[in-house]
Amino acid sequence: MDSRKGTGGKKARRGRRLGVITRGSLVEGLEMKLDPSQNIEDMKAGKFAVIEGEKNDFFSMVTDMRLDAANPEILLHPPALDDELLRQVLSGTSTYNIVSLRPMLMLPKDAAVEEGPRPVKAIPSHFSLVQEAEEEDVARIFGREGDEEGRFFSLGTPLDMETQVCVDMVRFAERSNGIFGKTGTGKSFLTRLALCGLIHFERAVNLIFDMHNEYGFRAMKETGGRGTSFVKGLKQLFGERVAIFSLDPRSTRARGIQPDFEVAISYDQIAVEDIAPLQDELKLNPTAVESAYLVYAIYKEKWLSTLLKLDGPDVEEFAAEIGAHAGSLVALHRKLKRLENFPFMVSRLTEGDAVDRIMEYLDRGINVVLEFGQQTSMLCYLLVANIIARRIHEMYVKKSERYYATQRPEDQPRQLMITIEEAHKFLNPVAAKQTIFGTIAREMRKYYVSLLIVDQRPSGIDDEVLSQIGTRITALLNDEKDIQAVLTGVSGTEGLRSVLASLDSKQQALVIGHAVPMPVVIKTREYGTQFYRELGCLDELGEEERRAKVQKDIKALFGEG
Amino acid sequence: MSKTQEYLRRRPLGRFLADDAAVLPVAPAARPAHVGEVVESSTTELIAEACQLHGAPPFGRFVRVEFEAPIIAIVYNVFTHSIEPNRRPTAYGKTEAELRLEQPQIFELLRTEFQALVVGYRDEYGPAPILPPQPARIHSFVYLCEDEEVAEFTQSDEYLRSILGAAKVPTDELLVATLRHALRARGGEGAYLVEMGKELSRLLRDDYDRLSSILRRIAR
Repeated sequence: MDSRKGTGGKKARRGRRLGVITRGSLVEGLEMKLDPSQNIEDMKAGKFAVIEGEKNDFFSMVTDMRLDAANPEILLHPPALDDELLRQVLSGTSTYNIVSLRPMLMLPKDAAVEEGPRPVKAIPSHFSLVQEAEEEDVARIFGREGDEEGRFFSLGTPLDMETQVCVDMVRFAERSNGIFGKTGTGKSFLTRLALCGLIHFERAVNLIFDMHNEYGFRAMKETGGRGTSFVKGLKQLFGERVAIFSLDPRSTRARGIQPDFEVAISYDQIAVEDIAPLQDELKLNPTAVESAYLVYAIYKEKWLSTLLKLDGPDVEEFAAEIGAHAGSLVALHRKLKRLENFPFMVSRLTEGDAVDRIMEYLDRGINVVLEFGQQTSMLCYLLVANIIARRIHEMYVKKSERYYATQRPEDQPRQLMITIEEAHKFLNPVAAKQTIFGTIAREMRKYYVSLLIVDQRPSGIDDEVLSQIGTRITALLNDEKDIQAVLTGVSGTEGLRSVLASLDSKQQALVIGHAVPMPVVIKTREYGTQFYRELGCLDELGEEERRAKVQKDIKALFGEG
Repeated sequence: MSKTQEYLRRRPLGRFLADDAAVLPVAPAARPAHVGEVVESSTTELIAEACQLHGAPPFGRFVRVEFEAPIIAIVYNVFTHSIEPNRRPTAYGKTEAELRLEQPQIFELLRTEFQALVVGYRDEYGPAPILPPQPARIHSFVYLCEDEEVAEFTQSDEYLRSILGAAKVPTDELLVATLRHALRARGGEGAYLVEMGKELSRLLRDDYDRLSSILRRIAR
């Protein structure tokens, strides 16, 4: 059941009157004649409006505006510059403004309290009044943070409003999600916000492949040239509930953090499936993978160490031995040699299997941030993310199967969300079929694993994957292809296109999909002191509050008494 | 009968003597003097004779005819002619002052009349922009409307429609003059002019040329 609460009954008239509906259709949206007292410049794309029909309230979004004139003569002979009177007289009468509205949800006026908004199946009649949405309307649709169930997490406020827009975290965790936007539009902040929501409300345990070391401990905030400031990372906000794993412990320590675990990967942990997606990065040709399978057929998991131990001239001999094409194997060998340069690649593990440790943490509900330190090459990121995700995937499949078999609540796996950056490298049409991430995006919902895809080039992602994304949080995108891609699999997107292209380059995002009842443009929540306090970060609380919270935590841990 | 009229009865020629006019007793503030008397009346318009020669209310001015339900009308035509229909005044080649000294009687043979367009009436509920049930009675007095009365009556835009709908009136000119009076009665409030301009634009069916010309002339 949808728990979004309606206020029910007849409600007081809303605030500002924006205009009246003059024409439109269900398919193409509605047109409103703007009230002459309103300034067209206040009508921003993405703004909320409520159309008061006779039986329903229609919650709508402003998608487009147009200037119009009743008489073409006026346009041929516009009023003189100093003829203020004529301009004022014409405005709203002979020259008027039309605002396109896209109704997103409707709510019967006599709806019962527990009834939520419904999809739009009707349109309001001629001259229905359009009003500015009020806080109560927004709360009615998007819920309010701090509800009893702890479902709703505020991501920001609607345009020109002070109220919260909340995302339903339960629904958010259910599906794979995407965070898109051009570089520098605040993707990392949005991602950090979403992760905070997931962790704070314990809706999913997270595994974050943190390519640029932005999520674990403090990160730099872009201030537009006015010095630099730092924001808190997840570890600082959630303490024990977040563990930092590092592929490059030296870099992590240099930034003043002690990693919880230093990740090393042995050659034996790399499967041929992990090499296949690296075709682009390593410039492998298709036959190389086949050769790798040949080696694997004989040496099983030792295939890579065996291959890399060989010296240049021996490879051809080896090829003849196993019946592989010599040239192809030589090329494969030469290219895989690059892996030896990675400091985290070891021939034997000394500290235990990193993936097992990650699973152990995740099982305990501790979120894992895997930092790459200085190992920021795409090759490294792809390789490591693939190896780890593949293993985790296998384990989750097993866990889920066990749960299906026993059906005991304690066997139910925790919902896991894997955050990947530069997602188009994993999920492009070629790679999506080979990497484990393609599989996760397509079908892992059944196995309690979903993805949080962070990307600046959504057009590079496979359509099949895109269409399975539940919730999209999108900052500004300019490229027509990217916009098209983000809107793949969303119905009624005509109007959203203009909204998406007209977002501010900072702190604005469009949220569409499974976790929100209707698409909404938000001004993103300030990620700062206030936010830390609201999440209950100890450093930011006063003495009194801190003591109270510690007492509460102690009670939660050890029970009353 | 007002004091002015009594005075005029005692001194029939008094109103033609310029310096004498200055000593005309001032009408009491509570009851301003009437400016004319109805001599011809129909539902849609009326003709009144001005109390003084050349003393008709200005073109476009709101006037009120005293009646049970006072009738509101707008002056749209003023004319001065000979009392005798068959005798036209002749040109003398002298200034008015000279003529007043030499032949004062000729002014006695002239009179000023004005035509007013009936646009509504007042009843106990306030101003009604509707034609009155009965036309004004002959010999009723015509008064100038006070500013408050004008402001009250011009609150709605219906008088513009009445003007536009009337035949035989110089429509655009009358609109300009009337709106100027209405505007003055409100102390020149710009917002009112914008509001009426919008209504006018609608009433003129977006005739942009006409609208801009009218507005230009009002704002002059």
